[in-house]
Amino acid sequence: MAPVTLNNVAKRFGAFEVVHGANIDIKDGEFVVFVGPSGCGKSTLLRMIAGLEDISGGEIAIGGKVVNDVEPADRGIAMVFQSYALYPHMSVEQNLSFGLRMTGNPKADTDRRVKRAAEILRISELMDRRPKKLSGGQRQRVAIGRAIVREPQVFLFDEPLSNLDAELRVQMRVEISRLHKELGTTMVYVTHDQTEAMTLADRIVVLRAGHIEQIGPPLELYENPDNLFVAGFVGSPKMNFIKGRIVGRDARGVLVELAGQEKTRITQPLTGTAPEVGSKVIVGVRPEHFGDAGEGDADLVVGIDVIEHLGGTSFLYARTVHGEDVVIQRDAAKVPETPEITASIRKSYLFDDKGLRLR
Amino acid sequence: MRNRNATAYRFLAPYLLIFSVFWVWPIISSFMISFQATRTVPWRFAPGFNWGRLIGDPAFFNALKNTLLILVIQVPVMIALAMVMAVLLNSPLLKARGLYRFAFFAPVVVGEVAYSAVFRLMFSLDFGIVNKLLNSIGLPKIDWFSNVTPAMALIMIAVTWRWAGYNAIILLAGMQSIPEDVYEAATLDRVSKLKQFFYITVPLLKPVIVFCTVLSIIGTMQLFTEPFLITERGGPGGGTETLGLLLYRQGFRSLNFGYASAVAYTMAALAIAITLVQLWLTREKQ
Ligand SMILES: Nc1ncnc2c1ncn2[C@@H]1O[C@H](COP(=O)(O)OP(=O)(O)OP(=O)(O)O)[C@@H](O)[C@H]1O
Ligand SMILES: [Mg+2]
Repeated sequence: MAPVTLNNVAKRFGAFEVVHGANIDIKDGEFVVFVGPSGCGKSTLLRMIAGLEDISGGEIAIGGKVVNDVEPADRGIAMVFQSYALYPHMSVEQNLSFGLRMTGNPKADTDRRVKRAAEILRISELMDRRPKKLSGGQRQRVAIGRAIVREPQVFLFDEPLSNLDAELRVQMRVEISRLHKELGTTMVYVTHDQTEAMTLADRIVVLRAGHIEQIGPPLELYENPDNLFVAGFVGSPKMNFIKGRIVGRDARGVLVELAGQEKTRITQPLTGTAPEVGSKVIVGVRPEHFGDAGEGDADLVVGIDVIEHLGGTSFLYARTVHGEDVVIQRDAAKVPETPEITASIRKSYLFDDKGLRLR
Repeated sequence: MRNRNATAYRFLAPYLLIFSVFWVWPIISSFMISFQATRTVPWRFAPGFNWGRLIGDPAFFNALKNTLLILVIQVPVMIALAMVMAVLLNSPLLKARGLYRFAFFAPVVVGEVAYSAVFRLMFSLDFGIVNKLLNSIGLPKIDWFSNVTPAMALIMIAVTWRWAGYNAIILLAGMQSIPEDVYEAATLDRVSKLKQFFYITVPLLKPVIVFCTVLSIIGTMQLFTEPFLITERGGPGGGTETLGLLLYRQGFRSLNFGYASAVAYTMAALAIAITLVQLWLTREKQ
């Protein structure tokens, strides 16, 4: 077990900078998820920790020791690849023991570790099979088993579930969570799926185009996003963004008018400096923060396009009079019958025109 | 459905016609000829005439011995060499990869006569660069063309030079289909590059290696050009005569087509037998 520290880590491919000075402090035993859209540099960052990519700038330390020039095998890490990267010509058991056998680990110890990994992952009855004869979920288990056998200080996962179907993904997600509890080892996990990030992580690192947008526990990111990108990325369905304008301010906060809806005004308390009256802002409202008319601070008239029934809750896909799309969450029992409704905004977030949170 | 098949066969007809006349018919015909005495006209049916002679013919056994000797030495050496070349071609350190790939492949497309002439020059006793090089490092000259052992070595060198690159390209294609992350996983597992080669690359490449070996066996069984052109019709004194040369000598010099056909069928049967053994030995064990 070991902490992992990234200090101003950068990566360039030629002149093309993919990771711009990342600073991340991963505590011993913590489960940290790197999340972000495709191509944002998550895998690159992970592969730099693993030692599969050179580090172009900054320092990576594992267990307090700078590992920039340490061989991948000597970093005390184990990695699970998206494509599983199993050895196709070996049985499950050989896949698990290969590394240990090749490096002359005593046979008794190898057998013990393989047996333990197989028990943890419940793959004992698959030991003689080749990867080709396994299902996707079983292959994934073997890939994780191969990592466990190394008894690493840090586990690295690169989108390990993205090749599985939805149901299996949920199941394996739980398994990985259980594994983390059982082993207590530091885990760094890459995904572009925010649900995976939210459910697995102790802390999430949100990346965009090689920049860290925010680091924090899942609920903090959800409840207190630093900027428009994080607000939009975390949570499903996405936070609604409605254009607005500051129409008044006092010591405690500002008054915002929504675009095209002169009657809808939101009072937003702010502790920092409030922007000038007249400046453009964006108001973010999560689908579940809409209430019935009159319940909240301001009312918004919307026309409903589609209603999605999920059982207990329903989502209303609607449009403001100004033509902005909004998604509203409602209890199934409270689904309206009229094509136009008035919804109140119970809670909202304010962002300036650069996308930074105003608070 | 029937109609569509008929149309397809009409399109195939020209090919099938040529295929039957120039492929199927000669194969059947030579099989029948191998049972005929063809030394005197008219040919007559005499099953023991050629096949009986084959069993006791020292020239046949000499050619068989030479062919098999070349086979067991040259094919493994060439495949091993091709493997090394493929690894080098696959190395990320290599610059101008395309150029090397072309250079390795080029011998296959060079005209046989031209390449044989160059080899004869390179290995000539007094003027050849090979003997000059041997001399310059203090070794005695070798008379490549007048002694059997050097002559055989020369044939093997020439064949290897010509086909190693070809096999390397095929092996390279196989190597490139092995996913990179398998090697990355092995690297993280602290498996050295050399062990990765023997425990990952070679086993995963086995089908391709078998394919190359089978192709080479078939090619070497039919070996003709090199002993014909480089060591001048299997010289010295039949020392490099192969089955292919024997066939040619019997068929087209002595016009003894019956015996030549029997030799041809023996070559084919041997090639098939060796290939089957090879496939059986390297089969996928369950
Ligand atoms: N070897 C390379 N040479 C040049 N550019 C590269 C190389 N590897 C990755 N990149 C670039 O670096 C950027 C980040 O890639 P990376 O694989 O880390 O993205 P990612 O966040 O893991 O995306 P995904 O979710 O699609 O896996 C991309 O723009 C990619 O094109
Ligand atoms: Mg990736």
